Amino acid sequence: MTGTVFDIGYQRYTGIREGRGRGRIAVFKDGIRTALGFGRGAQAKVLPWFFIAVLAAIAQVMALIAGAAERIAGPGTAERMNLPSHSDYNGIASIIMFVFAALVGPELLCRDRRDGVINLYLVRPLTGSDYVMSRWAAFMAVMTAAAWLPQFVLFLGLWMSDPSPLDYLAKHWRDVPRFLAAGAAMAAYATTLALFVASFTTRRAYASVFLVGVFLITAPFTIGLAMETEGALGQWISMFNLTNIPVHVNDVIFGEESEITSEAPARLLPAWVRVGWYFAWTIVPGLVLWSRYRKLTP
Amino acid sequence: MRPAGGEALLAVEHLTKQYRNVRALDDVSFTITDGITGILGENGAGKSTAIKILLGLVPATSGSAKVLGLSAFDNVEVRARVGYMPEHDCLPSQVSAAEFLTHMAEVSGLPSDMARTRAADTLRHVGLFEERYRAIGGYSTGMKQRVKLCQALVHDPAFVFLDEPTAGLDPAGREEMLTLIRKTHREFGISVLFSSHLMADVERTCDRIIVLHGGRVVHSGDVAHFTKETDTVFIEVDTSRDSLVAALERRGVVVMPDGNGLTVQGSDESVYDQVRDALVEAEAPLRRMAPRRRELTELFEREREARPK
Repeated sequence: MTGTVFDIGYQRYTGIREGRGRGRIAVFKDGIRTALGFGRGAQAKVLPWFFIAVLAAIAQVMALIAGAAERIAGPGTAERMNLPSHSDYNGIASIIMFVFAALVGPELLCRDRRDGVINLYLVRPLTGSDYVMSRWAAFMAVMTAAAWLPQFVLFLGLWMSDPSPLDYLAKHWRDVPRFLAAGAAMAAYATTLALFVASFTTRRAYASVFLVGVFLITAPFTIGLAMETEGALGQWISMFNLTNIPVHVNDVIFGEESEITSEAPARLLPAWVRVGWYFAWTIVPGLVLWSRYRKLTP
Repeated sequence: MRPAGGEALLAVEHLTKQYRNVRALDDVSFTITDGITGILGENGAGKSTAIKILLGLVPATSGSAKVLGLSAFDNVEVRARVGYMPEHDCLPSQVSAAEFLTHMAEVSGLPSDMARTRAADTLRHVGLFEERYRAIGGYSTGMKQRVKLCQALVHDPAFVFLDEPTAGLDPAGREEMLTLIRKTHREFGISVLFSSHLMADVERTCDRIIVLHGGRVVHSGDVAHFTKETDTVFIEVDTSRDSLVAALERRGVVVMPDGNGLTVQGSDESVYDQVRDALVEAEAPLRRMAPRRRELTELFEREREARPK
């Protein structure tokens, strides 16, 4: 049996064109794939999945400890021992979330500018604003998932390990909207700062090192200085601990102080100041990021 | 979205673009219809500015620019029907050509399944089908250049802008690219605006040219008009060039050196007879003899000479 290959030549496209909306969705989807390393080599997958695994592992360990306490020392032990809660988890996980954002986030913007791919986006039915907002939304989605997933693991763990699950649910169901809101707040903050810094360089490594430096090095510096300085000044110095900014919002949402902010002088400031400070640190860099891309031309 | 038959694909009227101290375009007007049009000019002539305005990326200071019958500026959707191949590097190294082109087609507004089909088809048309799942970082310069052309064609535009498409290519790669550009119009039916400073490429590929100098259009029209035969004959011999010059001058023929050859004034039959006799007398082995055509480079040389020193 012999076959014949027919070359039907070039075919014009006569199907539908979905315009700018499809373009935004495509950039959003590509942003998620880039952040998680899909469609790239194995190396690109290592970092994001390592952090997601670590975050989930922390929640799992917390759930296991609480479960073991309930089983070994009897019902209600976890609560009596004041084992880490959903609020505490966000405090513990915040540093890991920021390092995750610092190492992975810049990849969404820096590489497109360094390789020149941004020039191809801007000559398509897409504006600089569309591009950067889609990228922001993509990384926000990844960060939100990274913040929520372990909280669901923790919630399920605590719920299942409780001797009376129905009572646990009736008593703790409010934790779900709280950790959803606190997780989204933390994700928005980390996403915006990571992309804001990335918009100033074409090198992902520079952005990552700068962000890790800012997040990790300013923390001990501001903690030490704030402890030495009394009164309102000390409280405001403590507010410059960038890793704590969304954790203060977390505390306001949960109505309790988490482990890492329990000693921070900034906790004494009114809730509206801490929330306003969070919004300032999220909205201002966000606006600068947007304005840098808004008028970008190839 | 394609203008009715005969209507200009691109129309520029009294276009002026003033940057702070520099007038990049000065009262430029031209229209481009179906075909391959070359836009020529030295660095700073205004080619890139004109393309940016036509793509709606920068506003004009005054005048109008229409693409496919619609205003170019503030009309993002127009870009769904045009393609652009930039001169400089613009490809990701980590992803495969198939994935990258699918993504670019989607960004241009095609649904996902259609984008995938178009990406594979376009890669087939430029001869990269077999290599489509390899990461672009491992491609040769010629292959990367073809991927750049592909991304400009993947959404099936009505019009495509090519900025220095043969830059950095070896002679074989350059030839392949020029063939693909001709194919883009003749087989795919996509009109082309081709910006280059390589006259030979433009001469061999384009139907029409627009020459910019100092932000103004100094020439425009069919390439054939600029490369028409002159009233001279070009002769090239292997040896005895000086003897041939002497033999021609003895016959009263006006002869001038022209590169490796000679240009003889006049193109009627008597001139050919005299050249024949002179060749015999000088025992010069003839390599080439033909009516001399003008070259596009001469346009620029004339411009340069006419410029005040």
